[in-house]
Amino acid sequence: MNGRILRTILLVALLPLGLWGWRVLHPSQEHLIQKALAGLARTACVPANEAQLSKLANAQKVASFFATDAEINVDLPGRFSQTINGRDEIQEKALGARAVLNGFTVEFVDVGVTVAPDGQSAVARLTAKANFPGDSVPQVEELKINFKKVEGDWLIQHAENVKTLH
Amino acid sequence: MGTEGDASAPPNWAVRALIGRNPRVTLVRMAIWVLALVVMARFVLIPIRVVGISMMPTYAENRVNFVNCLVYHVHPPQRGDVVSIRLAGNHVMYCKRIVGLPGETVAFHEGRLLINGQPLDEPYVKNPCSWEHEPIPVGQDEYYVVGDNRLMGFLDHEQGRTSRDRIVGKLLL
Repeated sequence: MNGRILRTILLVALLPLGLWGWRVLHPSQEHLIQKALAGLARTACVPANEAQLSKLANAQKVASFFATDAEINVDLPGRFSQTINGRDEIQEKALGARAVLNGFTVEFVDVGVTVAPDGQSAVARLTAKANFPGDSVPQVEELKINFKKVEGDWLIQHAENVKTLH
Repeated sequence: MGTEGDASAPPNWAVRALIGRNPRVTLVRMAIWVLALVVMARFVLIPIRVVGISMMPTYAENRVNFVNCLVYHVHPPQRGDVVSIRLAGNHVMYCKRIVGLPGETVAFHEGRLLINGQPLDEPYVKNPCSWEHEPIPVGQDEYYVVGDNRLMGFLDHEQGRTSRDRIVGKLLL
């Protein structure tokens, strides 16, 4: 009796472990995109007093998440509106932002990914939660990010903010 | 006659209070409670913490509240309801008050809120403001939401139309 209970408990404990192992060895496309987004958020954060060389390296790393022809549209009516075209401009803007956003942090929550049937493009919808230096309240923005697969890697082709309230 | 118990062992009543008469039943009962609480917190009463000042003075910052997700299955959202509006999901939501209903127009003149051109009595707004905005038509499946803190600049205050499917529920407290 005790042996059977023990075996059941062991099975219940091992099942999630097995599933986790399977997912690590065979990640889904959704999981790969979520991983890329987590990496982007991590890289976009600016540590306090970041060294000049790190600023450049991290700006390059941020740009590497985007396709060469990527486009970013930010439209906050009455406050800020900008379109950034191409990986080079993204890198330039990222470097400029890192120079003034000392201690900036961002995280992506509620990430939902839909991969197209052909497996070559995908759309991610998420909420970006950003803490700007000096602000006590985080800024939140809903984003829609289009991905495309380039040589096996998921790269951002287009990113824009969604007007939750319009 | 009687047997002497171990002095270091907890008394019988304490063990019974902790794990019940039948440990297996207690375990099942605990699992049901945990499951019920998880379902409750995810689908029925979502716990939230208010961040930001846009709903002041009605809701102070860091106040804990609950979102009643079932109420709008009984009736549609009503004017004056304080609701939570989802962004990409339920982990970060806006907390706003419904002022405009489907088919109406919402405008601001000298800080007063006008619905279809008529001023709306808003006892929850404690701070006068000077907001000005031309009439905004609210769509058939939309609601106009705004915070109670009108001391903020019009453009700094997140407000506007939202579709019905984004309204998660009504704040309980």
